Amino acid sequence: MSVSSDEDCPDLVPAEAGSSTSKKIPVTVITGYLGAGKTTLLNHILTEQHNKKIAVILNEFGTGSAVESSMAMGQTGELYEEWLELRNGCLCCSVKDNGIQAIERLMEKKGRFDYILLETTGLADPGPIASIFWLDDELGCNIYLDGIITVVDAKYSLNQLLEKKPDKVINEAVRQVALADLVLLNKVDLVDKNLIMKTENHIKSINSLADIVHTVKAKVDLQKILDLHAYDTSKYQGFRTERFQATSSHIDPFIVSVTFEVFGSITSVDLDSYIQNLLWDKSVCNPNGNPMEILRMKGEVSLVAEARRVIVQAVNELYDREVTTPWEADSARKCTLVFIGRNLDEKVLRQKFTDLIGLA
Amino acid sequence: MAATAVVRVCESINCTKEAKLQCPTCIKLGIEGSFFCEQECFKGSWKEHKQVHKKERMKINMKAQNEAAVSFNPWPGYVFSGPLRPFPKSTLRVVPEGIEKPDYADHPEGYPASEMEIRGSTQIKVLNKDEIEGLRTACKYGREVLDVAAAMIRPGVTTDDIDEAVHNACIERKCYPSPLNYRGFPKSCCTSVNEVICHGIPDKRPLEEGDIVNVDITVFHNGYHGDLNETFFVGKVDDKSKELVQTTYEALKEAINMVKPGVRYRDVGNVIQKKVQAHGFSVVRTYCGHGIHRLFHTTPSIPHYSKNKAIGVMKPGHAFTIEPMINMGKWQDSLWPDDWTAVTVDGKRSAQFEHTLIVTETGCDILTARQDKDGQPHFLDQLETL
Repeated sequence: MSVSSDEDCPDLVPAEAGSSTSKKIPVTVITGYLGAGKTTLLNHILTEQHNKKIAVILNEFGTGSAVESSMAMGQTGELYEEWLELRNGCLCCSVKDNGIQAIERLMEKKGRFDYILLETTGLADPGPIASIFWLDDELGCNIYLDGIITVVDAKYSLNQLLEKKPDKVINEAVRQVALADLVLLNKVDLVDKNLIMKTENHIKSINSLADIVHTVKAKVDLQKILDLHAYDTSKYQGFRTERFQATSSHIDPFIVSVTFEVFGSITSVDLDSYIQNLLWDKSVCNPNGNPMEILRMKGEVSLVAEARRVIVQAVNELYDREVTTPWEADSARKCTLVFIGRNLDEKVLRQKFTDLIGLA
Repeated sequence: MAATAVVRVCESINCTKEAKLQCPTCIKLGIEGSFFCEQECFKGSWKEHKQVHKKERMKINMKAQNEAAVSFNPWPGYVFSGPLRPFPKSTLRVVPEGIEKPDYADHPEGYPASEMEIRGSTQIKVLNKDEIEGLRTACKYGREVLDVAAAMIRPGVTTDDIDEAVHNACIERKCYPSPLNYRGFPKSCCTSVNEVICHGIPDKRPLEEGDIVNVDITVFHNGYHGDLNETFFVGKVDDKSKELVQTTYEALKEAINMVKPGVRYRDVGNVIQKKVQAHGFSVVRTYCGHGIHRLFHTTPSIPHYSKNKAIGVMKPGHAFTIEPMINMGKWQDSLWPDDWTAVTVDGKRSAQFEHTLIVTETGCDILTARQDKDGQPHFLDQLETL
């Protein structure tokens, strides 16, 4: 049989998954209090041999008032700065933030980067920044939010985290930890083990989702902090629920993590209304009558009539869901949800959810 | 090769005689044809015939102007995605004292301070009765101003002529033209021709037969903004453009039909994208609908594409625009170096329609609806007469 014969219809082969130009560039947001070691971390990343062309965006971003941001690029040690002009937006609202357009334009001029690091100021709330970079896929933007890294000072952070702000304002340090996908507990060489443990436990009570990595002088294996894929499911390996249990006993009037697991499946409509009541209407209250306030949410959900696991994610009011790996035939369908926020009550959250689960 | 004798017939109506004479003006202007039997017959049909000259002269005139504009290119080296070029602009128009202005009107960069103040918030304002009436009045005036612009659309009229008429029509109604100096925008309305998606700046380019042009009007009156736009045909346009404009309008209509309390803002885009995809058109994703009341642009943001993460659920008293921009080719946009004019990346045409809506208990009111012709858009009038 001739190989090149056109008489028989050949079997189709899978199409190439996008050309190299459509490869998306990750953005990692680095937050942390002044003095925690953000700059040390950046310098470490930029001078490390990683063969990546990394763009670093300093300064405040996405505040609207920033007309320009200072920018440094490093490629295997080479450093230089240039001014990045943010051009005026538009008459009606633009979905993409000006800063993203500016990055896209800079890449047109300077060639593509492999990675983008964005360092916020010490008091920045990473929520709005994350929202800017957590873009709709449909926008076809070639950058995506990889994750938020919060650098925390082992010596002072416990005090910073416990500091009460007037008027029930959420303390910035707490917010940064709450939204972290990874926490770098830095300067562990300067404090005793007892304080490290206390600090780490407190961080876990705020955010049970984030991994915590101990560092000295912000030295860390880059593989641990880059390519986290915290906001997409391309590297999804399932929820690790074991770590959620240990910390849920902690009672804190402020920001906490709350986790529950419910067997069964929920309908798509019910899931949406459950999330929207929480995030948008803020109509779900704790037993004291205070509305729950969600800063971050992540969950793995079983939907009625959906053979695959569904990952739900939220930052402040912004939420999305994505289907991922199929449920195994023999595995029990269940929903696991983690909430990080204020005035959270595990019982109420669980009960509201259970009420929506089909008894079938 | 054997020569074939061509028998030409006189062009006068109702004349079938052989024609061996030709109109000299037509020869000069390079118009082909124009054969007549004799002078008397020619004279008899002169009244009609000279229209041919007039049309041609206008065409030549326009072409010359357009060529002048090409030499006017303010951005040497910039690669345009389509045939449209910027033309010189008129000087700044002034809004007389005594007309209430929004906060950005006198700011050197047109900074909309009140909008920026609540940037980042996702709260959607619920308008009370009085506020709805304020918005309704602004929208009514906005509609009147757009109708003024609509009546002007024909070949030879420049977008700057339209801007001037719009500006004056605003002032007559004690309205401030909201685009003027908004974030530095230099004119009183947006005029987006052919491949311009939105935010085209009115200039001295005369509209040409076959163009499509969108005029986007926003007026500020008694503290409220009313925002709407329509796409018009300039003379006779090709069928594909007609289909584009028609489909865009229907997409807006379908989106408006779904507006009622309880509907998620993120679902609007699904309806629009489904509608236009069926025609092979695409939805622009960079620009979206927006909340509007005392602020020109505010929450909610309403993308017109499907699978978006827009925040919020419609409630009675929410006021916002839906304004799909639909492209014949690719959905991607790029920006002219004037930092305003958004064009399609492939230079193919784009159409848009917009209304300001207020959510009611059962659905919505179209506050910028046309008062006559049962609210139908102007291009449908044009289709009827074509």
